[in-house]
Amino acid sequence: MKAGDLLELAGRNLRESILRNSLTTAGISIGVASLLTTVALGIGLQELANRHIGQSGLFDTVYVTSMQDGRGGPDDDAEQPKPKQGAAPAKVLDENARQLVSQVPGVSSVDPEVRFMGDVRTGTVTANAPVGGEVTSSTPATSTPEAAPSVTPNAASAPAPDASHATFVAALPMSSRRDEAFENMKGHYFSRATAAEAIVSNRFAKEVDEKTPGSIVGKTITVQFASREPLPGSTSGGFSVVRKNETVTVVGLIESEPFGGMRRISGAGIFVPTAITEGWNVLQTSDFRGVATDADAQKTYPALLVQVATAGKVPEVQEAIKKLGFRTFSILDATKGLRRFFGILDIFLGIFGSLALIVASLAIINTLIMSVLERTREIGIMKAIGASDGDVKTLFFTEAGAMGLVGGFFGVLLGLGIGALINFGTNLYLTQHHESPDQVWSSPWWLVLFVMAFSIGLSFIAGLYPAARAAKLDPVQALRYE
Amino acid sequence: MTDPALAICTDRASRHHQLGNTTIRALDEVSISIPRGEFASLLGPSGSGKSTLLNLLAGLDRPTSGAITVLDKDLAKMTSEELAVYRRLTVGMVFQSFNLISSMTVAENVELPLRFAETPRESRAARVKEALDRVELGHRAGHRPTELSGGEQQRCSIARALINHPTILLADEPTGNLDSRTGSEIMTVLDRLNREMGMTILMVTHERAIAERWSQRMIFMADGQFVSEARTQNEARTQNAARTEAQA
Ligand SMILES: Nc1ncnc2c1ncn2[C@@H]1O[C@H](COP(=O)(O)OP(=O)(O)OP(=O)(O)O)[C@@H](O)[C@H]1O
Ligand SMILES: [Mg+2]
Repeated sequence: MKAGDLLELAGRNLRESILRNSLTTAGISIGVASLLTTVALGIGLQELANRHIGQSGLFDTVYVTSMQDGRGGPDDDAEQPKPKQGAAPAKVLDENARQLVSQVPGVSSVDPEVRFMGDVRTGTVTANAPVGGEVTSSTPATSTPEAAPSVTPNAASAPAPDASHATFVAALPMSSRRDEAFENMKGHYFSRATAAEAIVSNRFAKEVDEKTPGSIVGKTITVQFASREPLPGSTSGGFSVVRKNETVTVVGLIESEPFGGMRRISGAGIFVPTAITEGWNVLQTSDFRGVATDADAQKTYPALLVQVATAGKVPEVQEAIKKLGFRTFSILDATKGLRRFFGILDIFLGIFGSLALIVASLAIINTLIMSVLERTREIGIMKAIGASDGDVKTLFFTEAGAMGLVGGFFGVLLGLGIGALINFGTNLYLTQHHESPDQVWSSPWWLVLFVMAFSIGLSFIAGLYPAARAAKLDPVQALRYE
Repeated sequence: MTDPALAICTDRASRHHQLGNTTIRALDEVSISIPRGEFASLLGPSGSGKSTLLNLLAGLDRPTSGAITVLDKDLAKMTSEELAVYRRLTVGMVFQSFNLISSMTVAENVELPLRFAETPRESRAARVKEALDRVELGHRAGHRPTELSGGEQQRCSIARALINHPTILLADEPTGNLDSRTGSEIMTVLDRLNREMGMTILMVTHERAIAERWSQRMIFMADGQFVSEARTQNEARTQNAARTEAQA
């Protein structure tokens, strides 16, 4: 039988019991809509999570630490190469290392991660005084009598009348501007990479001024911290620790922690541009270790933040940096679990979504079997006037497929409608709770195609048994059937 | 080899049904032959195996043993696909209960075999009209079978049977559901098909009078077996028909 005749006969048969077939088709539509809605919800949630993590700028960032460091970053990964016993000492993260890392293909910038304890006052102080005395690698440390005996801020030397506030100070490169935390900030991000500017956290601002935390924006603050100063004339890598003051202007106030609170520096009270901290010679804990282990201790970094051109290159870059002998960590490592979670979630949502479709295909089987019974005599007639078993089989197949196609089409429409409603509903809720609108439901075109194909495929499978049964009917018996 | 002048030839054709331990011999070693162009009738009491034989000849059923040769082809050796083609093009069937599809119009019912025969759409309308005109039902083409009288329904089913110009027409009690006047109408149509188109007809009937009046030969059956055969006065016409066919 030709396709045109097949479709015509199938269409005629479907219209013949229009109510029953419409109900079955509606069942398929609901199944398809349920599958589409649930899987698209899974995809939407995954995209939502990816978007938020992506916005935090962590996806294209690789965190590099020295292998000397016991810690590999926020999460110590068992896969990381461990320095071998008796092997050459692990490489330190010094300027040289930073250069090497920045030459890795795919790396767009390398910034040291700077985080230190600072003593902050509003106003301007310029005096720099050494604290804690000298540290050298070759000679025992000797206290300088003039210096303050400890690093604890000396209340007497503090400029009146402002109280000092101890807080962590962290450096941010210009590329961190993309982070969500700076989207709705009061004030603005650093105007230049080298601007003597600061952004303060809401928590810190409240510590300074409980009632009007916002008033800190525009004010000048002085950050007092421990700085390393090379010993004049020393070739041994020794340095002295000096109390240093730097003045910056507060240009912004953030409500939430940057990087979604996921990084070590997220909780800092004050953020300053990375470039200006380079001149500050902030004393880092890694400096002490450098003195202890390395004869010509250079300035070292506790960690480097490597910005990768595209998130897709992160694994390659990570691999290359590992080869250089450093420990790396990226959010890809951390999101492995997250991605697995969403993978499993998608599978479960898919299973639950397809349950309805599987029930619907049982309805197809049922409908078609009823149809075979009802049309037994008709099948006998068709065979008597020349229909082959194959003709009868394809006719029932076509009817099953048509129900799948029509059901799939309306199911997709229904599913898209439900999805739009889900998005509308969540956005309504979000805006009512003063959150920015977002998309939790997302159906990519391939999902729509897949769901359609699944529906038609399942309908064909459902048609297998009834079609075979119809084709196998003995025409003599069928003609006798009433 | 069989005689090429024979349309139908059965050689000890049997159709047995196994019901538990009992074997029902619906047809038991029946050997008959019907020459081309003949109008034969099959008579016998109820349950004597007439329909069984007709179904075997129509390719709707297969014999349990014996050979059935139609137009030199052994039906027992055909695949089910080949049998479908055979039913489509070689034989036409007419039933006592008309067997029209009630959801289709008269024209659609008549067109249906053309769909299975994959006849091009362009030529179908003309073919349907020709077939309906032949049974004088052209004016009811758009009606549903339920809107027709019994005689009209049977004429519709005859039109459907001859739409593919089969060589053989098998009719199972075509007048069984009709009053005698309408029955005569139907017989006139069959008679014309036999005479004008040279169609070989095998008709099952209960009524000996009809068989004697319209057919050329009567085949008697009982208990699934061939009993006897008798020629009617119409016999001479057979030779005429055969001669006409030979000349053509
Ligand atoms: N599928 C079957 N199973 C068992 N017995 C059957 C089957 N089909 C037919 N028969 C038997 O075969 C015998 C012949 O049946 P058939 O229908 O050929 O008779 P018939 O001569 O056409 O009778 P009628 O004049 O009543 O139509 C009957 O006794 C019937 O019961
Ligand atoms: Mg019968």
